[in-house]
Amino acid sequence: MKIIILSIIGIMLINLSLFSQDFDFAEPQVNIGGYGELHYNKQKLGNQETKTMLDFHRFVLFFGYNWNEKWSLKSEIELEHNYVYSGQGELELEQAYVNYHYADYFGFQAGVILPSIGLINENHEPPLFFGVERPDYHNRIIPTTWFGSGAAVYGEYFGFSYKVTILEGLNSDKFTASSGIRGGRQKGYKPEADALLYNARINFINFEGLRFGASYTYNDAKGDSTNIPVSITEFHAKYEANNIYSVFEIGNIGYKNSNIQTSFGYYFDLGYDVASLVNWDVDLIPFIRYSDTNTASSVNDNLNDNELYHFKEFMVGLSFKPISQIVFKVDYSQRIREFDKQITYLFNLGLGYMF
Amino acid sequence: MNINKDLALYFIFYLIFISNISFSQQINDEVKDILISTFGKSSTIKFTKYEIEKNAATKIEKQVKQKFYNSAVYYYQIINNDKINGYALLDNVYGKSLPITFLVLFDNAGNIISSQIVKYREQYGGSVKNPQWNEQFIGKNYSSSFEVGKEINSISGATISVNSVTKGIQKLTLLIKEIIENGE
Repeated sequence: MKIIILSIIGIMLINLSLFSQDFDFAEPQVNIGGYGELHYNKQKLGNQETKTMLDFHRFVLFFGYNWNEKWSLKSEIELEHNYVYSGQGELELEQAYVNYHYADYFGFQAGVILPSIGLINENHEPPLFFGVERPDYHNRIIPTTWFGSGAAVYGEYFGFSYKVTILEGLNSDKFTASSGIRGGRQKGYKPEADALLYNARINFINFEGLRFGASYTYNDAKGDSTNIPVSITEFHAKYEANNIYSVFEIGNIGYKNSNIQTSFGYYFDLGYDVASLVNWDVDLIPFIRYSDTNTASSVNDNLNDNELYHFKEFMVGLSFKPISQIVFKVDYSQRIREFDKQITYLFNLGLGYMF
Repeated sequence: MNINKDLALYFIFYLIFISNISFSQQINDEVKDILISTFGKSSTIKFTKYEIEKNAATKIEKQVKQKFYNSAVYYYQIINNDKINGYALLDNVYGKSLPITFLVLFDNAGNIISSQIVKYREQYGGSVKNPQWNEQFIGKNYSSSFEVGKEINSISGATISVNSVTKGIQKLTLLIKEIIENGE
């Protein structure tokens, strides 16, 4: 069945390229872009200092080529923590795909791609989110940056945008109570393709300044001996207009045949560009965040996992953008572990850029 | 679970099928439709490929901090009863990697009547096509401010496109001023 459909898709794609356009502005061209971020992290557990680090967390180069206005290559290579040595630091091919953009309502891509889950996985450049580090939610619940081998179709129609992705699956042996599905990503490293992951997302984009939508993801994640089917449902909304910046995301992961039954989290950001009050032509945005994440929000056993991995966080911070593609950030937060009300204090400084 | 797999494949199949039978409108036709629907059927549209004078181009590029896509733009004069009723310029700016083709309509004094994205070629950032977002440019001219985040709202998920289209539109307000002043 699959083979028949895939070959029909192939024939149709060949058909599509027979249409030609007048005013064909796109010439074959190489594009280079990138982003990066330097972080200073300070952490205290109670009165005890647990971490002080000055880390060039991510250096990413984007390389693309357009054969014409429909066929293009997009790729992104990322170096994490500046140096790779025996399991420390990471060098990753985060994106590398051939893209066929037929029209606004339909495009196709295959290669190393990003599933469309939440606001940050596909748009993760540092000037685009509040806080020096990505929100806890995008680490503990949705494991950004989530990438892998696969194919997707996407498009926009009447103010809706959609993307449907089929991707390598997750490795269920690497699921843990402390980090949910995060460890299960195969990251395109000789990935098992027995049980593929299916992801569909829809967004409403026609309200000015507002983008909101939801996604559903299913994978019958395979381990050495047992399968753990997981399903991820998430809702996301972002408002950016009239100098107000606000984000809300909420997501749930359901597991079957597993000690962890669900992971659940949400966060809320609210910021205001105060530079607008004095007509200063930069962005100066103080913000607050409340975040609640629990990688083991319901469990089968009687252990305290559902409290041990439940963290609530309150953050205040500031983003300063002298120009829209460079950002200086500072934030301070308190993270409370539900189990024993233990408080971690975090202070971060950051510099990020994109081009 | 096999039902889910098949459903996903059928969905993809359906999308490709739909896109095959849909009609794709050419840029040139689309521009003419827009001009006629704005200025009326009785208008005569005079089209030329307008070569931008080098000094003017450099001056505008410096002010806006964005280069012209090409040495020429597509220039339309809208004529009613032997009088110029308005102008339109079709130009491109780069999004993340591919050109975004956009059209700006001006009254005969060079104030923006409307702007729209005629062709978008990327997966992300297509929200700049939103008519409401484009309405923010109405009435602006060469002397207006075009600050993103201030006069012009940004769009979540379309930061790069918003910045480049905004600059592109500003460039055309400066160019149309030159064109009108030179009586071309």
